[in-house]
Amino acid sequence: MDLTPNQDQETFQTATAEWCRDNMPLEQARNRPEDLWQQLGDMGWLSMTSPEDAGGLALDHSTEALIFAELGRVLAPIAMLSTAVAARWAGPGKYALALPGEGKLRLFDTENADAALGIWPAGAGTLTLEGNLSAKASLDQTASLAAADIALKPSAINDPRAALHLQLLGAAYAVGCADAARDMAAEYAKIREQFGRPIGWFQALKHMCSDMAMRCAVARSQLYFAACALDCDDPDSAFHIASAKRLADHAALENSRTNVQVHGGIGMTDEAYPHYCLKRAHLLGFIAPAAQEILLGQAA
Amino acid sequence: MDILFSAEEQKFREECREWLAANVPSEQRPLNAADAVDFDKSWQRCLFDAGWAGINWPTEYGGRGFSIVQQVIWLEEYAKAHAPWIGANFVGVNHGGPTLIMNASEEQKTYHLPRILKGESIWCQGFSEPGAGSDLAGIRTRGRVEGNELVVNGSKIWTSFAHVSDWQELVLRTEEGSQRHKGLSWVICDMHAPGITIRPIQKISGQTEFAEVFYDDVRIPLDNVVGGLGNGWKVAMSTLSFERGTAFIADQVKLAHEVDELLAKARSSGMIRDGRIADQMAQMRAEVAALRAMTYRNISEVIRTGQPGPEASVIRLFTSELGQRIQRLAMVIAGEDVLDFHYGDDGLVHDYLRGFAATIAGGSAQIQRDIIGERLLGLPKSR
Repeated sequence: MDLTPNQDQETFQTATAEWCRDNMPLEQARNRPEDLWQQLGDMGWLSMTSPEDAGGLALDHSTEALIFAELGRVLAPIAMLSTAVAARWAGPGKYALALPGEGKLRLFDTENADAALGIWPAGAGTLTLEGNLSAKASLDQTASLAAADIALKPSAINDPRAALHLQLLGAAYAVGCADAARDMAAEYAKIREQFGRPIGWFQALKHMCSDMAMRCAVARSQLYFAACALDCDDPDSAFHIASAKRLADHAALENSRTNVQVHGGIGMTDEAYPHYCLKRAHLLGFIAPAAQEILLGQAA
Repeated sequence: MDILFSAEEQKFREECREWLAANVPSEQRPLNAADAVDFDKSWQRCLFDAGWAGINWPTEYGGRGFSIVQQVIWLEEYAKAHAPWIGANFVGVNHGGPTLIMNASEEQKTYHLPRILKGESIWCQGFSEPGAGSDLAGIRTRGRVEGNELVVNGSKIWTSFAHVSDWQELVLRTEEGSQRHKGLSWVICDMHAPGITIRPIQKISGQTEFAEVFYDDVRIPLDNVVGGLGNGWKVAMSTLSFERGTAFIADQVKLAHEVDELLAKARSSGMIRDGRIADQMAQMRAEVAALRAMTYRNISEVIRTGQPGPEASVIRLFTSELGQRIQRLAMVIAGEDVLDFHYGDDGLVHDYLRGFAATIAGGSAQIQRDIIGERLLGLPKSR
């Protein structure tokens, strides 16, 4: 039993964080360069858990979860989730993220994607994208949105682990998003002064930030446990991954909301960054959400 | 990262499980502290005789010196077997003893440690005062050096098991005019010494478990000072690192069990069909799972670096508030039957009322949030 990253994982994590800082900062999340997707593939992040003969890195989910939490922290492209899952269970190439909903099929990040991956009522599946999809604006402005016909039938991925994989990576993104909101709020609370002091001195503000840190610690710990559960085919892995997703979604949304409040007036503006996290958190909440019956389990 | 225990560790788990299954007493621990103390003493003796006492104490002081992973396994199995709460032995075994191990003279250790482990001497804590709660450095109880003795005057409060204790870990001001953390000393006080008056205090749950203690010219030999005169703050704080992250293992198992019992109740009564109840229970199941993950993560950090991680401070706050949320929901699910509670009742109302202490004792939730904000996030110090 060891729930801390080993040396290789730590090195990987640090390298990812540094690369993101230099090449994919959160501040540019609405205007990513055209060649970014190619670079993400070159870094190996789109096929971390795929077998080596399929061009992947054959790493475990715990390493992947650590890396995706770092990517989630800078609000990396949402289609990284669907593409990484597809690389393991369906095939190579960019997969847009499909969200089948009430009478509407939403597709995110369809640029240069020939296919999409999502979870339908029957389980995870993929779609081939044909024709010109017109990308539109979406609540999360870091992700383009296109609508497609809900009647489109996906081809099923027969391994139930594919859906768990997407849920796990979604949880990792949400942990990263919650971390980003926490750090943004804490940094602002140290420099913004009112009544002659940094606002972080006041317990009302400090304790809001402490709660953000608590939610992050809770969600990240469960993320690690869940990733390990998937790696060792633990009989409770579906429960642990659902728990991780539930806590991470909660942390991402509550921390993002708190971050706007800590920023005050500036937090209400389009030019400041707190709303990036807030809107991303709302999107993540719809990606492979934790099912209540899985969380409630078989107890009694 | 992985969550698997080795074959050797699994075997150890079996040993713990077998012994506990055969030895955990079937009778309930009595509620009242005066009755409970005999029960606590004989259970501690039973643990000692079977070699399960002082699982984290070094072997030279009669402990088992278990590895931290073995401690985790023992504590998990102990809780799963519904073994009794350590009760009156809590301060001696979990706090006073460990402080002695780290700071006391050979003479002090040789005398006190075996007696604690065998359940022969009961210890209580003398830290908080009417004027020094969250602000512990505001201690005013004073000890004047007179020959080879300290003459102590003042009072302590919230001292659990004071009226059944033999010894007290007492922190007092031994340097006249000293301020805050300076000039304090940690001493072993004989609770049977002349000049000590104990006023038991009843809790909102009905129990008389803690007390106010008054000192009127109480004479304590200077030989009972631990770690040297004037070093009391340092000695008192040293125990924090001794616990090293295993403190909440039992809570995790206990809370998981409570949530599952609540869920069974909500299902049989049909209350689970209330969407809000179902949603709260789903959240709690996830949170209890996360508590285990946090604890394992913290323990892994200790194994790797020798120190708990910076997020260790979060575990305590999260555990105490999660426990209270579960107890609050239990009250909702129980419905109007809670109105029949009377002092002396065991059960969920008692646990709910008693549970308010979790976010007050040993540093309030507000102090914990200050610490998290300042140490984890680097926010400016408010105090």
